[in-house]
Amino acid sequence: MNSYVKEFLRRGMMFSGFGPIIAGIVYFCISFSIDNFTLTSSEVLIAIMSTYLVAFLQAGASVFNQIDHWPLIKSMFFHFFTIYVAYVDCYLVNSWIPFDPTFILIFTSIFVGIYLLIWFTVYICVKSTSKKLNSKLS
Amino acid sequence: MKLKTILDKKCEEKILIYAHEETPLIRTIEKLVEEETAELIGYVDREGVVLELMKVSCFIVDNNKVYALIDNKRLVVKYRMYQLLEKLPDNFVKINQSCIANIKNIKSFDTSISGALLVKMKNGYSDYVSRRQLKSVKERLGL
Repeated sequence: MNSYVKEFLRRGMMFSGFGPIIAGIVYFCISFSIDNFTLTSSEVLIAIMSTYLVAFLQAGASVFNQIDHWPLIKSMFFHFFTIYVAYVDCYLVNSWIPFDPTFILIFTSIFVGIYLLIWFTVYICVKSTSKKLNSKLS
Repeated sequence: MKLKTILDKKCEEKILIYAHEETPLIRTIEKLVEEETAELIGYVDREGVVLELMKVSCFIVDNNKVYALIDNKRLVVKYRMYQLLEKLPDNFVKINQSCIANIKNIKSFDTSISGALLVKMKNGYSDYVSRRQLKSVKERLGL
C-alpha cells in the first residue's frame, strides 16, 4: 500500500473519534438554548457517523500537503476539496443547513473565509518562526 | 567462514570480509567495529567508508533503510534513527520522524504554502519540521 495512503488512514483513525465528541458537546450546548430539545435515535446515529467521517477525512487530508511530488496548488486543492465535501455533506445529511442553493452558497462562503483565515494565521506564525530560525543560522 | 588474524605493526589496521551474502554475523562484526572505533560507516554497494560527519547533510529513512546524505550521494547506515541520535554530536537535530539534520549544513528555513516549516539543506535536500520536533529544533538553535 502506498505510504501516503497508509498515513492518510493512520491519521484519520487517530483523530476520527474527536468528531462525535465535538458533535456531542455542540448538541449539549444546544440543549440549553432550545426548550425541549430532543433527537431521535436515527438523528444521533447519523450525527455520530457523519462527524466521525468528517474528522477522519479532515485528519487524513493533511497528508495531501506532504506529498512531495505534487505541486502545491494540487495539494491545496485536494486538501480544501476533501474537507469541503466532507463538511457540506455532513451539514446536509444532519439537516444543519437546508438543501437549498442559497444556504449552501452562504455555507460555502463562510467555509472558504474560515479556511483562508486559518491558513493565513498558520502561514504568518510559521513565517515568523522561520525568520527567527534563519537569524540564528547566520 | 574462516577467520585469520595477522599481527603486523607495519600494516594499516583493517578488517576485510569475503562473504557470499550478508549475514547476521557480518552485521554484528560491522557494528562491533563501528562501536570500537567510535565512527559511523556508510555503505555504497556494500563498500564501507567512514563518514565525515561535518559533510553529512542529514540522515533520512527511506524504505526502512537509513541513509546518510553527503552532497548528492546516499550511503546506507546500519543504525536505527534512535541509535544515531545517541551517537551523533549536538549539531545534529531530529526534524521529523525520518530525518536528522546537520544544523551546520542547513541553508535556510522556509515556509511552505501549506503552512509547514521547511528545512533546506546546502546539498539541495529539503524536508519538513514536524510539530513534535519544532520545540527541540528551536532550543537547539537557541530560540
